[in-house]
Amino acid sequence: MDMMDNKMQQWETACLVAANIIRKKSETGQLLLQKEIFQELMDQKVLKSDNREQLGTFEAILKKTMKMNQDLKELLDKDGIPRYYSGQFMSEAYARILLRKKGNPLLLIAEIVRENSARYPRPIPLDTFKNSPFELTQEEILTCLQKMSGQEEYQDIAQTITSIGTVFLYSSRHLDSDYASMLAEWLDVGQCNNP
Amino acid sequence: MGHQNKKPEILEEVLSSEGLNHSFSRRQFLKLSGVSIIGISVLEPLFARGETKAPLIIMKQAKGIVIADPTKCVGCRRCELACTEFNDGKAKPSMSRVKVARNLNFGPKGVFPEKHGQGNWGNGLIVQDLCKQCPHPVPCANACPNDAIVVKPPTDARVVDAKKCIGCKMCLRACPWEMISFDSDTGKATKCFLCYGKPKCVEACPAEALSYMAWRDLTDKVPPRVVPTAVIPPEKAAACNDCHKK
Amino acid sequence: MAKYGGWVGKILRVNLSTGRIWTEDTIEKYKDFLGGTGIGYKVIWDEVPAGTKPFDPVNKIIFGVGPLAGTGAPCNGRTAITTLWPTCWPKALVATGHMGGQFAAELKYAGYDSIVIEGKADHPVWLSVVDKKVEIKDARRLWGQGIRRATIEISQEIGPGAAVAAIGQAGENLVPMSVVMNSYSHSAGGVGAVMGSKNLKAIGVRGTGSVRIAGKKEEWEKLIKLHLSLLGANNQHVVPSSPQPWAEYYDAASRWKGSRGKMWGASTPAIETGTCNPRELNRIAYRTNNAVHYLGDIAWKYTVRGNGCTGCPIRCHTMIKVPSAAAKYGIPEVGQNTCGGLNFGRSFFKTFPDGPRGMTGIEACMVGMYMSDDYGIWCNYSQLQRDFQKLYYEGIIKSKLEEKEFKSYSWDKYEKGDPSFLFELLPRIALKEGELGTTLGLGTGYLLERWSLSEEEWKKSHGLNYWKLGHPKHHSNEEAGQCGVIINTQYNRDPQCHSHANFTRNGLPLEILKRLAAEIWGTPDAVDTVGAYTPMNTGKAKMAKWSLLRKELHDSLSLCNWMGPWVASPLKERGYRGDDSIESMLYSLATGDKKNRQELDQVAERIFLLHRALTIRDMGTKEMRTQHDTIPQWVYEDPSHRPVYTKGTTHLDKEDVKLAMDMYYEEMGWDKATGAPTPEAYRKVGLGKVSDELGKKGLLP
Repeated sequence: MDMMDNKMQQWETACLVAANIIRKKSETGQLLLQKEIFQELMDQKVLKSDNREQLGTFEAILKKTMKMNQDLKELLDKDGIPRYYSGQFMSEAYARILLRKKGNPLLLIAEIVRENSARYPRPIPLDTFKNSPFELTQEEILTCLQKMSGQEEYQDIAQTITSIGTVFLYSSRHLDSDYASMLAEWLDVGQCNNP
Repeated sequence: MGHQNKKPEILEEVLSSEGLNHSFSRRQFLKLSGVSIIGISVLEPLFARGETKAPLIIMKQAKGIVIADPTKCVGCRRCELACTEFNDGKAKPSMSRVKVARNLNFGPKGVFPEKHGQGNWGNGLIVQDLCKQCPHPVPCANACPNDAIVVKPPTDARVVDAKKCIGCKMCLRACPWEMISFDSDTGKATKCFLCYGKPKCVEACPAEALSYMAWRDLTDKVPPRVVPTAVIPPEKAAACNDCHKK
Repeated sequence: MAKYGGWVGKILRVNLSTGRIWTEDTIEKYKDFLGGTGIGYKVIWDEVPAGTKPFDPVNKIIFGVGPLAGTGAPCNGRTAITTLWPTCWPKALVATGHMGGQFAAELKYAGYDSIVIEGKADHPVWLSVVDKKVEIKDARRLWGQGIRRATIEISQEIGPGAAVAAIGQAGENLVPMSVVMNSYSHSAGGVGAVMGSKNLKAIGVRGTGSVRIAGKKEEWEKLIKLHLSLLGANNQHVVPSSPQPWAEYYDAASRWKGSRGKMWGASTPAIETGTCNPRELNRIAYRTNNAVHYLGDIAWKYTVRGNGCTGCPIRCHTMIKVPSAAAKYGIPEVGQNTCGGLNFGRSFFKTFPDGPRGMTGIEACMVGMYMSDDYGIWCNYSQLQRDFQKLYYEGIIKSKLEEKEFKSYSWDKYEKGDPSFLFELLPRIALKEGELGTTLGLGTGYLLERWSLSEEEWKKSHGLNYWKLGHPKHHSNEEAGQCGVIINTQYNRDPQCHSHANFTRNGLPLEILKRLAAEIWGTPDAVDTVGAYTPMNTGKAKMAKWSLLRKELHDSLSLCNWMGPWVASPLKERGYRGDDSIESMLYSLATGDKKNRQELDQVAERIFLLHRALTIRDMGTKEMRTQHDTIPQWVYEDPSHRPVYTKGTTHLDKEDVKLAMDMYYEEMGWDKATGAPTPEAYRKVGLGKVSDELGKKGLLP
């Protein structure tokens, strides 16, 4: 009986700690892999040692943690590998950016450009991808764009340049070139001239 | 009468009340001031005999203190507004217990040509003046002829008891950092009382320039703003000499 | 105890001709007009006869603040200055300039809700207001000095905590394009010369009093926290400019620039702005960086910190430290301002040797701020600089100047984009030296007249941004279609209205803007997205009315119309909703005069209608539609001849705009043919007497 209570308590502690780990990382803008959560739990001595039984326990603990906490979310990347974050501290949109950034920068750029062109709607500055959380270099971005121009599924990703030389990206699925260039000029030059 | 003879008794009374019965030099006693010992109450019997004016011994340190980072101050004065609006129901920065406005434009040293000063007209640095919740001897409390500045739980901040305050403004002249405020509407002095442990100024600052931390002695870290001009009643000053005479 | 909180109870009156100083009771005389522009228009209506000119001693200048000034309500640091407007062409009409800083709060603490100044002193004076002690003091030794030195000298006299509103040489020399400034970088455009015409160098205020909050302090604290929780960054942009962990949306054009790794680089030590989660009310000041917004990411390393008005957590002014500017031009290392003020120097130049976002541009900003904020020169929402570029590059300056004067300018420096050119140009505008300096200082209307240039040409140009009466547009159709156009017709200078632009630029995607619009103005069709406009509808008319009324409300309460209204918020859990009742809740709790949103909007309508009545009276016509509410030709033309209401163009259709004005007049309850308010419209807001007076002059429809 005692041992059962002990185990239950251990599990509850583990769930609590696991949830906290995920939330803390989300606040700083990071997703977590299963093994990273596992490692943290071991580092914090919540789980005992690295063996098969513990792994099984961990998977069950993670499942329970996810079930108990509404804000914790799981996101699968293109290879089906799950990552975890807390919706309390991180938006799904941001989580997706992080996910794409890891595996597929072309898709990342395309998705962001298309979303902006569809929803706001607007083109976005190429420099967007240099800043956090994308943090690509100029070369990396240009390489991606070059690759995209040669692939059919990315034919809609287009560029426009404003009168002061800023490059904007848009998706021709959602914005025609005329409108895109007008919007780019407004965002880059017009708004500053009309403070 | 035996006035002179009574003075050493005060020291002994204080020490004995804490079981510190071995002989202490004055210097050793003063070093103890980091330890929370007693208030005035233990001396009551002595003074009830009417033989001497009570010296003010505030041995309890405040539990907390508000600390400022001037590099983060953006000069919005929301601290002053929160202090007075949320405590006194009126926006009155002149009586704010955290003081920024006087350093805002030119820095603590007053009006200087742009290049040489602080503040908005100088290099931008804004010094926020805060009450240090002084350890003993507490200048403002010491100067009060009515002992109206007392230690109040839960924070053990040094607080003006408005019922006892007669509005003489002696405390304003006693504080080397000019931190005491005077409410012209009520005719009473007022000072930082740490808002029962949740300082409003800290909560209000939009730049995280103020923090509420465990108390530490800042009285020798911050240069005084003025030379204090308060007059301590001679009997009180005499009583203080017991410990503080060189 | 006074009946109401918020107001401090006295209007300070000063007659500089007679030296008489007296007070009036705010509540008795002006409660129904709140403060700010409300009091300004009321005084002008009651006391300044039609036909008065701006520099006549009989003209009055009203430094108006409202019941919320000096309180802890966020964004309340504004003073509205109402007077007859020197650059309003061809006939001076009533208008308002606005300045932030510490002045509004300090005036309240000194015990005054407004200052009304009339007459003219017989020698230069400055007004000293130290709590209840008001004196007219000799300013002869300050005359001829810049704003900076005058402020320092007055501060030495009445204390370093004083708020000093001063004019520079431009105002002294009756240059219409002049400002009054307080708190180093906060200017009110267009009014400097009116002060100069009265020989009033400055007003120095020192106050140790208080503003009483009528409501329970716990409730006030709760309301303030609610308001703070709804704040975005400057201009109420409610999304960050780059993706942040907590954010669903972002907008590169947002003024919410704070982010991990972005530092106040010129601070010692450098301070990180961080992710600025909107729930962290202790980090609101790190969101906005307008130097970065205008000058690019390069400005992070020059940023010392934010700055701004009393009590405002937003800090829309940026203090920048640029050692190279000091080294090259002998000016101070540190400069600070926002928007037009920040860009004053840069806007003159067509190009810079290192491109539009390089160091030279920043140096031009530094040189420009240093001079314009000391000489006290106004830019008229950058119309000065736009006109200058056109006049130079089209050879007009050359043709109008005598050869000797033309050669006295280093035009090669100007064409190259050398900021040192400003040292040749700006002093001559302030000191009225030479034909060019004098003409530029007149304002666009009188400039056109003096040089026999065609206003029609200005009205056709897309780049000049000109609207009417010698002033430019300010957030018109390029921003918000028909709503923006309506707003721009209503004033006697550029409208200084941001209610609509704050909403359309807040960074939220269109579907959310439309959802919010439906809640506020009755239909999602009230907003289009930029460059994809649709024909006029009643929702847009409602949005225009709301925008105008709220602008007057803010200018009268002392709330910042560059931040409010607060109908959107950064909070996902609220569906990004703000609260359209923030103004009425703040007003009710602070003053104790309980008014709900509609009731307070009705007071705003009263104030707005008084402005309309004044304009009609002083123009001497009720034909506002055709004579005043005019729209320049460029609004109807697209440079690439795209058809109207297609994607990619912001121009509008003439017939549709006529419908827009119809719908707007109907929404206001005014006569459609003339655009003049009807007697019923005046009476509905308690302006029956105004209506009668206009009726006597035949100025009712």
